[in-house]
Amino acid sequence: MEVAVVGSSEFVVGFRLAGVQKIYAADDEEKLRRYIAAVLEDEEIGILVMESRDLNRVPPRLLSTLENSIRPTVIAIGAQEGRMSLRERIKRSVGVDLWK
Amino acid sequence: MALRDVKPTRSELISIKRRIALSERGYNILKMKRDGLILEFFKVLQQAKESRGALQERYERAMKAIALANTVEGAIAVKAAAFSVRDTPEIAVRSRNIMGVVVPEIESSSVKKSLVDRGYGLLGTSSVIDETADAFEDLLEAIVEAAEIETTMKRLLDEIETTKRRVNALEFKVIPELTEARDFIKMRLDEMEREELFRLKKIKARSPS
Repeated sequence: MEVAVVGSSEFVVGFRLAGVQKIYAADDEEKLRRYIAAVLEDEEIGILVMESRDLNRVPPRLLSTLENSIRPTVIAIGAQEGRMSLRERIKRSVGVDLWK
Repeated sequence: MALRDVKPTRSELISIKRRIALSERGYNILKMKRDGLILEFFKVLQQAKESRGALQERYERAMKAIALANTVEGAIAVKAAAFSVRDTPEIAVRSRNIMGVVVPEIESSSVKKSLVDRGYGLLGTSSVIDETADAFEDLLEAIVEAAEIETTMKRLLDEIETTKRRVNALEFKVIPELTEARDFIKMRLDEMEREELFRLKKIKARSPS
């Protein structure tokens, strides 16, 4: 399986340098949405890498799909805001806020 | 099960008693499963925190490196170098079983490459690009590791939630209702027995002896 990267052009070029083939440079929200949909359709992709800054611009419905998606697994890197969802889920499932 | 649906018969009482025993056994087993899952979750959580830290650190390093490369070499040169990299990192996914939860084990190959294998040529580019590529390869490795751990965590959380729901449903809904039904049937049967006894006495009193 492969890794896919969606994000700003600077961000994805770096991953291209590391050898990732499926890179999608999304500058505006419309493109972001389209590329994410394309990645979700692709059976070959096992991990989707995004910047948490971009994740905040995704419409809420798509965002929850991404957060619950297991294949591909979505990894958001960058600032910490993206962690809230997982933290909420831990709180809901275990009953205690265990994150930090 | 509402009380008025319960028929006060002895066979019904026996079957309800059986169901209570079964529910309690299931309840105990599920409770143990829930505790086991939470223990597993604690282990994964520790790993997740560590991998998050590493990821963040490598991300910052990679972003610095690419900004530097863009400045020194120009965005076009960086892109040109990037598009001549041919080796694609492959990831293989296998599955592992934690208490009935299938979690993935992700392994990556050929993420780290030597200078020569990268394919953009050594003469045309400076060491800044090499460093950037190196930083992003590191980042990619961290991402693959984090992906495994986070998927594991999501699956475990889902399983914990359903198990918790089942435990609570048994404890607060199924078992109390069954107990209530059992008590109702017992009372009703006792009552019928007393009525029967009283009736017999009446008949005996009326009959001339």
